[in-house]
Amino acid sequence: MSERPFFVGYVGLPRGSRGFAAALAVVLVLGAGLLATMVARSVDDPGPGAFRFDLGPQKVTGIVELTPAPVLHVTEGTSTIAPGHTLMLSGQGKNGALPRARALEGRLATASGILLTRGTLDMLQIGGGEAGLGPATGASAPALPAPEPLGRWALAGEICDGKCASGAMLPGLGIAHKACANLCILNGLPPVFVSTRPVAGASFLLIAGTAEAPMPPELYDWVGEYVTLEGLVRRHGDLLVLTVDPATLERAP
Amino acid sequence: MSVKYVPVQWNRFKWGYDAVLLAGMAVFLWAFLRIDAAVLGHAREVSGPIRNARAFGACAFAMMTIILCIGPLARLDARFLPLLYNRRHFGVLTAAVALSHASLILNWYFAFSPAERYQTVLFANTSYAGGVAGFPFETFGIFALLALLILAATSHDFWLAFLTPPVWKGLHYLIYPAYAAVVAHVAWGALLDRGSGTFTWVVFAGALGVVVLHLIAALKDRRGVRPETSDWIDAGDPATIAEGRARIVILPSGDRVAIFRHQGQLSAISNACAHQNGPLGEGRIIDCLVTCPWHGFQYEPRTGRAPPPFTEMVPTFALRIVAGRVQVDPTTAPPGTPQAPVPIPGAVTA
Repeated sequence: MSERPFFVGYVGLPRGSRGFAAALAVVLVLGAGLLATMVARSVDDPGPGAFRFDLGPQKVTGIVELTPAPVLHVTEGTSTIAPGHTLMLSGQGKNGALPRARALEGRLATASGILLTRGTLDMLQIGGGEAGLGPATGASAPALPAPEPLGRWALAGEICDGKCASGAMLPGLGIAHKACANLCILNGLPPVFVSTRPVAGASFLLIAGTAEAPMPPELYDWVGEYVTLEGLVRRHGDLLVLTVDPATLERAP
Repeated sequence: MSVKYVPVQWNRFKWGYDAVLLAGMAVFLWAFLRIDAAVLGHAREVSGPIRNARAFGACAFAMMTIILCIGPLARLDARFLPLLYNRRHFGVLTAAVALSHASLILNWYFAFSPAERYQTVLFANTSYAGGVAGFPFETFGIFALLALLILAATSHDFWLAFLTPPVWKGLHYLIYPAYAAVVAHVAWGALLDRGSGTFTWVVFAGALGVVVLHLIAALKDRRGVRPETSDWIDAGDPATIAEGRARIVILPSGDRVAIFRHQGQLSAISNACAHQNGPLGEGRIIDCLVTCPWHGFQYEPRTGRAPPPFTEMVPTFALRIVAGRVQVDPTTAPPGTPQAPVPIPGAVTA
């Protein structure tokens, strides 16, 4: 048996054990710092999406369309948002704008809020009340831009919610974000498909829902995963809308 | 040892132990959070709550891994025993760090919604049968957190006495499924999501270290041969037992007996401390009392009783010396039963 000093906690460290205990303490503290640095340095880039608070509140006018996620075809923009651009709309937090947009479908409306941008994906988080989203006064609505069919596409990528993906959360994509994305979509935020390869110049496609739901229910189990799918793509303004064929969904290798 | 319950029986060593613990945790969190987008060359910062949650989550994983390594390390090398003495404080701090991680997650990913966050964490992802990748890994985390909170809440000696040591010990084995759940939580969440090589290796190495250390310690425990006879068990040459130390003998039942030499005489008591099943045979006699190497609980070697006013007792065993070899009666006497000590031939007795 070892003749090392015997440790009894309430007596304290015997003299012969103090060096080893001190070395352990140093290793523990320095090791903690080293381990944390290694792990933190392995963090992936969260992407370029962001709330554009730096641009200030944006107030635009446009025609409301429901897919059923609400989008706004801008007719009068700002220095940042050009007329002809199509914006997805969201409420505050994980709240969709559909309940407020439903009464304005096909009508000219003004929307005011903070812009979120990521690549070709632009979303306006509207403020509260009619100041955030309300009918435009004194003008009649021009006709909605006619959807342009772009055919059936086979795509690879990820289904997620448009708000987190556009920068409300960084990162706002991936498996770790799956439950959050599901919750956002369940609450009416626009579901989007992030394609690994651009479709007609866009990597972000708004996913069309059904009359009853913002996204076909079959898609929830596939959110956040890397999948392949097929679907019909149409251009609504300058926004691509994807109608997913759920039967074609597969996990990508 | 105490005859009354106080929140913490502080002593100088515990203050030092907890100071090192807190320093290690603080350094971990500081080092993690100082690595920002500028250091990494990213255009944008990871959201603050997500960074914080990752820091606390990684810290909790590291702390659990160290906690689970302490037990086998202390069995393999007595110099690690000081780590074990105050391990419950380590566990309580780990539960607090894990709770901070969970709180950050709940208040970010599952907040800002019309539904209550404690509900959304349960219903937002229900892809239990949807395949490996999309499995709701939060479930593993919830289980591990609940287990850690239960262990922390029942870590005090009051609960040990109230539940009885076997029940308390059994309850605290929850740490193993909790750790497995944490590994699954990290693997299904962070690793599948980010696929980061470094973090994958950290998790793999940590979990492997825990498993390997436990296997080595278990193998060391099994080196003794369990006899098949129900007769007296040979325990070897009594003269080779060092004064104030013990030899551990395995009985046919698998239980272990610690045969202590004290003032030239031998006494045998159970090897399992009444406090937390610490290995008494790896302890020493201090002030005429067998002293447990884990938490310093003490027993009179002839009776297996803790000195008054303490009330802990362990079973005792009869000894005899035949043809110059010590033998132990495998019949277990009730805890606290006095046994006549056996003089070692030729040894100086007090």
